[in-house]
Parts: sequence; C-alpha cells; structure tokens
Amino acid sequence: MISAGTTEKGDVLVKIENSEKREIIVNSKLERLYGKAIRATVEEMTEGIDAKITVEDFGALDWVLRARLEAAIRKYGGEKE
Amino acid sequence: MKLRRTRLYIPGNNPHLVENAGLYNADAVILDLEDSVPITQKFDARILVKYSLQNVDFGRSEKWVRINGVDTPYWKKDLEEILPYCDVINLPKTESYDTLKLVDEEMSRIEKEHDLQPRKIVPIIETVAGLINAREIASHPRVIALAWGGEDLTADLGIPRKKALILDNVRAEIVFAAKAYKKQALDTVFSNVRDMDALFEYAQHARYMGFDGIGVIHPNQIEVVHRAFKPTDEEIEDAKRIIEAAREAEREGKAVISLNGRMIDPPVVERARKILAFAEVE
Repeated sequence: MISAGTTEKGDVLVKIENSEKREIIVNSKLERLYGKAIRATVEEMTEGIDAKITVEDFGALDWVLRARLEAAIRKYGGEKE
Repeated sequence: MKLRRTRLYIPGNNPHLVENAGLYNADAVILDLEDSVPITQKFDARILVKYSLQNVDFGRSEKWVRINGVDTPYWKKDLEEILPYCDVINLPKTESYDTLKLVDEEMSRIEKEHDLQPRKIVPIIETVAGLINAREIASHPRVIALAWGGEDLTADLGIPRKKALILDNVRAEIVFAAKAYKKQALDTVFSNVRDMDALFEYAQHARYMGFDGIGVIHPNQIEVVHRAFKPTDEEIEDAKRIIEAAREAEREGKAVISLNGRMIDPPVVERARKILAFAEVE
C-alpha cells in the first residue's frame, strides 16, 4: 500500500492498495456538501487503475485533492523520492 | 524597482498554509521544499507545490520556491516539477559559481523544453565557503539577490548563533558582494514571532546595513518589516526634491544637477529613486 497527503486540516490522505477489483472509498466530514465532487475528481484521476483507493478528506480543496491523487498514483506506479 | 522587503517562508507540504499565503501582502512568498519538509514527504510536497502554483492566488507576492540543495537527490526533480510555474528559485547552500552553473544548466534545459522565459535565482549563502565566494556568486546573470542563513553559517563557523560576534561582518560581506553587481541583498529571518519591537529594530538594522529586505516566518511580521523599511518623511521629501532637480536638469539639457547650490551626483539620484520606491511613492 502507498499513501500521499496527511491528516492535517485542509489536507487529504489518499491510499492505494492492490486489489482484484477497482474500489473507491471516500470518507469526509463534509460528505453531504462535497462528497459527490470528491468522488468525481477521484474517478476522473484514477480512471483505469484497478486497485482499492481510499480517500480520507479533512477539508481539502479540489487542487489539494488532485495534488495528493497525482502523488499517490505516481508512487503506486513506482516513482520514488 | 521590485521591492523584496519581505519574503514569507511557507512549508511546502502544508496545504492550509499554502492556500492562505497570498493574503498577507508579503513582497514574496517562498514555498519551501527544503528544511521544513521531512524526507518522507519530499515527493508529496513537490507535487503539492506544483499544483498550488497553478491554482492558488498569491496576490501581489512574487512566487519563489526553495528547492533542495544540489548535495541532495531531490533538486533536479524539484526543478522539473515546479520551474514552469514559479518566478524565482531560492537555492540553499550555494557555495560557489559552479553550484550556480550546475543549476543554471538544468534550468536552461527545462526552460527550453517548456519554452519558458529564464527564471531568476536567489542563492542562500549558508557556509563559510559560500561567503568567501559570495562576490562570484552574485555575478551570475540569473542572480537577482543574495540571501544568507544565520543558523547554518554560525554552525559552520562553530559558534552559537546568539553569542556570535561576527554576524555584522557576514552581513557586510553579503551586502558588498550583492551591491558590487547591482543585485539586492536580503537579510536572514528574525525567529521570535512575538516580539514586534525587537523585530522592528532588527529590520531597521538590516535596512541601515544596506539590505533590501529580511526573511519572515509569520504573517504578523510582514507589516512591521514594511514599516521598518519605510523611509522617514524627511528622507522622502529630500528624495522628491532630488528627483525633481534631476528632471529639471534633464528638461533644460543641463549635464550637472544642482539643488540649493549643491551638486547632485548620479548615485545620489539613484539612492533617491530607491527611497521613493521603498516609500511606495510614484
């Protein structure tokens, strides 16, 4: 499993782990307001990745979510440092 | 003249702080990928800074990124991700002209690839070797200003920072090196974020040592530093009179500028322009 981001205010923690099927789990305190938008961004950026993707949101803006998703995806793809 | 009285350091892996960095009216914001980012977060921070440069409104602040030093495995990757989106590269532990040549080559390659205008560098002098080579470092065409780091430099000298007697000599050397090449000189940070009187005094000391600005680590320090760098009313009035005399001499085609019977040399006119820039007077 790899992860990107933190659990600090305004951030988001993205985890990607091997799985036989694609699965997206989103946990957010602002689920009612932003859950749909968060899921749409996650779906868009992780398209084609068959893995379990977990997103723990702590009030991150869309650009922060995108940055953390890109970091997680690239690390899952094998990039280091 | 671009004012660089304050440069606000922001840890590059903290989205909350990065998001708000443009609200405080600092002359420059430094998104830091170096000391404030733990090794385990270098990758994430680099990507976060890249996205922030494209999405956050930094207002009137110039966008700087402090990359990791050339003695680390990170600096090339830092440049690769962020160079297209920032104005200035803040380069820690710059020790020689060769350090700059190395970074310059990498920057030129990326600029060519992305069809970018050349980006600027503000090197940070943090070692005795860097201080000895400060003049050569200041001469590099990408360099717009010289900064220095007190903590590392005093550690390199082997003396406790708070008791160091040599710091004004270091400051003088930084100012001479920068000014010899018409570059700005930037003093190090004042780390006590509560004592505003001491900060004001520190910033005024920097100003009268010849510095153009200092580093700040808290938004509350910005207004105090801008006030400390603001010329006095008397300095402003004097500068206005000099500029007016220079304009009049130009209008009348005179080679010599005079004011109340005294001759005004070109460096004095230049200093008057700088005073009005610091006073934010057109």
